[in-house]
Amino acid sequence: MRFKAILNGCSADIVAQAEELNGFIFENLRSESAMGSTMLLYAKKDEKEALLSLVPTESVELVRINRYQPETILEALTTLERRERAHLYLFPSGFAGSEIAVRLAFRMKGSSLVQVKRIDCSQTHLIAKKTVYTSHVLGTFKLKKKPYCVSLAKGSADSRPIPPREKLSVTDIDMTHLREDLFIKASQSVPMKPARNLARARFLLVGGQGMHNEENTQSLKQIADAIGADFGVSRPVAMRAWAPMHRLVGVSGAMTKAEVCIVAGVSGAPAFYAGIEKSKFIVAINNDLRAPIVKTADVAIIDDYRAVMEALVKFMKAQTRKDACFGKETDSSHA
Amino acid sequence: MKLLVCFITGPDLDMLEDQDWVIDKNLQIQTGFLKPALSTYDESALEIALMLSDASESVGVPIALNALTVAGTAATAVLKTLIALRFERVVRIDSHEDLRFRPRTIASILTQYVLEQAPQDVLLLGRQTIIGENARTHLLAAEMLKWPCITHVTGIRLDDESHLTVTSQTDDGLLRQQIQTPCVLSVGDAPKTYMRVPTLKDRMRYGKRPVETLFTRNFQLPDETEELIHLEVITHERAGLVIEGETPEKKAKTLYEDHLKKRLETL
Repeated sequence: MRFKAILNGCSADIVAQAEELNGFIFENLRSESAMGSTMLLYAKKDEKEALLSLVPTESVELVRINRYQPETILEALTTLERRERAHLYLFPSGFAGSEIAVRLAFRMKGSSLVQVKRIDCSQTHLIAKKTVYTSHVLGTFKLKKKPYCVSLAKGSADSRPIPPREKLSVTDIDMTHLREDLFIKASQSVPMKPARNLARARFLLVGGQGMHNEENTQSLKQIADAIGADFGVSRPVAMRAWAPMHRLVGVSGAMTKAEVCIVAGVSGAPAFYAGIEKSKFIVAINNDLRAPIVKTADVAIIDDYRAVMEALVKFMKAQTRKDACFGKETDSSHA
Repeated sequence: MKLLVCFITGPDLDMLEDQDWVIDKNLQIQTGFLKPALSTYDESALEIALMLSDASESVGVPIALNALTVAGTAATAVLKTLIALRFERVVRIDSHEDLRFRPRTIASILTQYVLEQAPQDVLLLGRQTIIGENARTHLLAAEMLKWPCITHVTGIRLDDESHLTVTSQTDDGLLRQQIQTPCVLSVGDAPKTYMRVPTLKDRMRYGKRPVETLFTRNFQLPDETEELIHLEVITHERAGLVIEGETPEKKAKTLYEDHLKKRLETL
């Protein structure tokens, strides 16, 4: 099946996009990799060379645009793909991927599916799997009309660095003449405090609705700081604004894979659990033995999370002091 | 400015026990006994619309809030609540079909409603539904209407009769854009947008207006280009070893010494 990976080179997360798509291609399209190509949209001329090292296939169309705007991208894609279409278009899991995938499929009279975990192209139609029923169930779908446009689900494949390529076929295309969106009258990025990337956390403490209020959320964050853990929250906590959105863990936020993950006061709904399921060791602290998180953790403590965490801080600090007295080398960030 | 919020109610799936997750030969899971609820995204869309209406007086631009769902009578309670919250037109397009995985059908109905029955300036939707997780209806509606679309909206400000300032999440952070209507907006993770509850007084005063009912047979329904062919329940299980102890301190000590100490030393 001839496929094309679409990358948004105007975004700061281009490396993550490229490695995610490379991982997905490796896991789902390895036997067809020779039939794959990439279309990389970018705006800044001076970034072109660096972008070439992020191409997950052996050929690439480098499409220069003025700036990333969904309506402009759609126009560029439909114009460029008018003559020779791929059978399958792959988009990364970010916000832009799903948006463009669905609208492109509509314009090209094809079919689309978003947040896809796996695909099978060995049959007449594309078969794709994605979660449904709020991540409780895995649905298998048949996409009936080519071209198939799919965006990936977060965490659908392990990110895979792009290997250096000896040969890369590059085609330069200039689409800077495309008109900007007329419906947008003014546009401004809202500055945000840079977020620590929770996806890379090795030791993670996540608080849930059981924290009950903003003050307790702050206290648990301080405990996370004290034990050297990164701090995340479940969706109800972020939606109540007890913590900023960049701390959100789960399908709407960070997909983590910590060595140790402690979850406190989190019930463990599937959409949350998807964000921690790749952790090596999960500890649940919850008042309710019947909470789903208890069965999906390695160990659990059924008790008030505050009392347990405060005691845990005490033991970890005592251990640090002991190690310091005996001259044992410690990593200060973890105690 | 006319604003239509489109929503779908679904079951509160967290209320299902493990043994309830049974898939029958028609690829259905029995959820009829659960109380219908709004998805958090639809709830946010409805509350954002109400907030916009609250602010309209100070801007001097009246907003007509309308709401529409394609559903059976199970959605009536939510629709009555919206009437009490002073949505002007509250419409149920009666359907008893299986629409779980038919975003194109829903988008087509919305489009026909807007183009042929009740013109609107803004179509506001939640980004995905509880059961289908389709996350495509708003995008397909935008294509069918030939309107621009902004996704993952977290806030809207009314500027004048034909302009809104929309804040949305993007891959590079938040973006604030002033846009011209008409447009489709889909609401993402918008903090502090749990839907308000109408007062008893408002329920008595406004809640008696009827829900307008239309029927899917009056709309042209397209074929879907995607088809569900299989469902399987996802199970996650780990050891789930419960640490026993008389006090939280004793439990924490066991957790640290038996399970965490060595692991944390290797980090």
